Amino acid sequence: MTFTSWQFGAFVAIVFGAYYLPPFKSLQVQLLVAASLFFYGYGQPGLLPLLAVAVLGTYLFLILALRNRSLWLPIGIFFNLALLAFFKYKFLFIAPESPGVTGLPSIDFLLRLPLPIGISFFVFHNISLLVDLTAKQKQPPDIKSVFLYIIFFPQLVSGPITRAEMFMPQIQPKYFGDIPFVDAAKWILTGFFFKLYVANNLNEMTSYMDFPLYETLQTQDRWLLIFLYSYQIYADFFGYSAIAIGLGLLFGYRLPINFNLPYISVSFSEFWTRWHISLSNWLRTYLYVPLGGNRDGALRTYLNLMIVMGLGGLWHGAGPGYLLWGLLHGVLLVIERPFLGRLATIDSTVFRVARIGFVFVCVTMLWIFFKLPNFDHAVSYLSGMFTSSTNPNPPKLFHDLALVYSLPVVIQHFVSRSRFEQTVSGAEPYLYGLMAALMYLEAGPETSFIYFQF
Amino acid sequence: MPPSSAAYWFARCGFSAALLLLACGIATAWFGNGLQLPSTTTRDGTLITLNRYVREPIPDVVLVGSSLTFRLKEEYFATPRLRNLALAGGSPVTGLELVANQPRLPRIILVEANVLSRSMDAALVAKYSRSDDAEPLFFRPIRTAVAAYEDRLHAPLNHTQVSSSLHRLIEQPPSDFDNSIYLERALQQWNDEDPTAAVQMNVMRIKQLIPEIERRGSRVLLFELPCSTQLEGSRSAKITREIVHTAFSDPGRWLHIEYARAELRWADGVHLDERSAAIVTQSFDKALSSLRKSP
Repeated sequence: MTFTSWQFGAFVAIVFGAYYLPPFKSLQVQLLVAASLFFYGYGQPGLLPLLAVAVLGTYLFLILALRNRSLWLPIGIFFNLALLAFFKYKFLFIAPESPGVTGLPSIDFLLRLPLPIGISFFVFHNISLLVDLTAKQKQPPDIKSVFLYIIFFPQLVSGPITRAEMFMPQIQPKYFGDIPFVDAAKWILTGFFFKLYVANNLNEMTSYMDFPLYETLQTQDRWLLIFLYSYQIYADFFGYSAIAIGLGLLFGYRLPINFNLPYISVSFSEFWTRWHISLSNWLRTYLYVPLGGNRDGALRTYLNLMIVMGLGGLWHGAGPGYLLWGLLHGVLLVIERPFLGRLATIDSTVFRVARIGFVFVCVTMLWIFFKLPNFDHAVSYLSGMFTSSTNPNPPKLFHDLALVYSLPVVIQHFVSRSRFEQTVSGAEPYLYGLMAALMYLEAGPETSFIYFQF
Repeated sequence: MPPSSAAYWFARCGFSAALLLLACGIATAWFGNGLQLPSTTTRDGTLITLNRYVREPIPDVVLVGSSLTFRLKEEYFATPRLRNLALAGGSPVTGLELVANQPRLPRIILVEANVLSRSMDAALVAKYSRSDDAEPLFFRPIRTAVAAYEDRLHAPLNHTQVSSSLHRLIEQPPSDFDNSIYLERALQQWNDEDPTAAVQMNVMRIKQLIPEIERRGSRVLLFELPCSTQLEGSRSAKITREIVHTAFSDPGRWLHIEYARAELRWADGVHLDERSAAIVTQSFDKALSSLRKSP
C-alpha cells in the first residue's frame, strides 16, 4: 500500500476517523499499532512475524540492558545489525531462486525471504531505542509504546528516522482540538505535489537512464538527465518525508524534518546537515561520535568520516555502487575539511554561488550510483557524459517539459523563503489549492518511492 | 490557528483547486482533447501516431510495421493520403488489428513482413478499438501549453514542404558512417533468438485478418524492407522469411519495391538512415503508383 494509492487514502481516513472517537480514547496507541501492522502486512503479510521478532527481540534486550547495560546493550545492537545484514546482504551470496542452499527447510525458507520493506529504517529505530532509553531511565516503557515507536505507519517504510528520546515522550493521549490541520495539510499537499507532479513526471524522462537505453542518448541529454534525476530523487524522498510529517501531525506526533533545501549547500558537510537529516543525525549520534568523532586528531577524524560514509552507503544497499557512493562522499568531506574555515572567511556572493554550484554538480554526479546500482552501468553512463555520442537516432527529450516539471524544486531552493512568503502571504491557501489541483491533473505515471527499496 | 481560521484557509484552498479543475473541465468540454500532448517516451510516440489515426479522416493507404517501417516518415511519401502506423518496438500485427477494428478501412493496407517475432499488444488494440472510449474529463494544463508551444515550433511537415530538401538529401553520396559496433550487436541478437513460434502465430493471425479485411473492400499487401546483407543472413531473418513466404506464396500478395541496394545504409545496424529511408519511400511511391494503374 503506497502513500499515493486510493487504498492508502481510505486506510488513513478510517484510522483517523476512529482515532479521536470517544470509545478509542484510551486505546489510541493500540489502534495506531494495529493500523501500522495492517499497513505493513497489507503488502508483505509473510514478513509480519519478522517485524514481530525484531520488535519483541529488541524489547527483550531493552529490559535486560536496563539491568546490565554494558553486557546487553552491545548484544541488542548486534541482534539488530545481524537482522539487517542477513536480510540486506544475503543475496550477495545466494541466488533467491536457488532450490536449497543448506538442505534445512527452515534455514532455506529464511534465506529465500525477500528484503523486508523498511528494515533499514526500523532497525535504526530499534538501536536508537536501546541506546537512548538505557542511557536515561531505569524502567522499561510498555510494550505497546515500543511497538508504536518502531512501527508507526507514516515513518515505518522510509522514515524519517526518529530518535526514541524524541518520540517516546510524545506518546500521550491526543485530542482532536489540538490537531494543527492547516500545518498538516500543507505538509501533505506539498509532499503529494512533489511526488506526483515533479518526481513521477521526471521519472518518465529519467527512465532513459536505465540500461541499455542510456546508450542511445546524446551526450548533452546524459547531462540533462542526471540533473533531472537529482531533482527527481529529491522530490521523491522530500515528498515522502513531507507526507509522513503531515500524517504524523494528524495523529498528534511531530516527526523530524528530513530535508532543508539541500541543493543550496555551500559545502559537503553542510549538504549532510540538509539532506536526509534524520539519517545524518542518526549516523552522527550512534556511529561517528562513538567512533571518536573529531576528538582524536585530524587523521582519526578523516578515518571516522570515511567509515561513517562507507557504512552509510552500504546501509542503502548491498553493492559496490552504494559503497563507492558513500566512500566518495567521505572523500569529499575529508578533502574540504581543512579548507572550511578559510573558505568561510571569503565574503562574496559570486564565490558563494560558485560553491553552491560545485557542491550541487558533485552530489548530482554521484546520484548515478543510485539510479544505476550496477557498477559497470554507472561507470559507463558517466564516461559517456564526456565522450561525443555516435547514435544517429537518439531519443528526443522535451526540454520545456523538463523545465516545467523541475521548476518547483528550483523555486523552492532558489527563491528566498521570506521573500516568497511576503509575496504570497494572503494567497497561500490559494497556492496550495492550485498545487492540489495540479498534482491531480498533471500527475505522472505511478512509480514507487525510490527509498522504498532501501 | 483558531478553528474558524483553519476552516477559512481550507475554504480558500478548496476554492482555488475547484476553480482550476472547473477551468480545465470547461476547456476540455469546449476544445476536446484534440491537442496532442508531447511524448517523453517511445510509448508516447506510439500513442501520438494512433491518436491521429483514429481522430482524422481515414487515409487511402496505411503502412503497418515495426521500427523498421517507422523510419519511413509520412512526409517523405509523394503518395497522397498515406499514413504510417508502424509502431517503434511493436509488432505489425498490432497495427493490422487496430486498422481492422476501425469502422472504416483504407483502400490499401501494407504490412511489413520483416519483424514478426513480437506478439501483438492486446492492451493497445483494445484501447483503440473501443468506439465508446470516454474522453478524459480534464486535460493536463501544463502539458497542453507545452504541446501548443511545440506544435507551433515544430508543425508537422507535408511532402511539398520537404521535397526540395529530400531531393538534396538523395543527391548526396551514401553515408560512410562506420556502423560495425551496432551491426555486431544487432547480429548477435538476431542470431540468438528463435522466432519460430511467434512468427507462426503472427502469420496465422495475418492470414485470418486478410480475408476479413478484404471482404470489406480493402486490399492487403505484404512488403519486405531491405536490411543489411549480414542481418538478412541472420537466423531470425531466415526463419521469418521462410515462414512468411511459405504462408504467402502468391506473388500477387506482395508489394514489390525496387531500389538500388548499394545506395542504402543502416546507421545503427538495423534501421535505414534518413537518406536510405527517403530512397525507399520513392520506391514505395513508384510501386503504389503502378498498383493504382493496374486493373
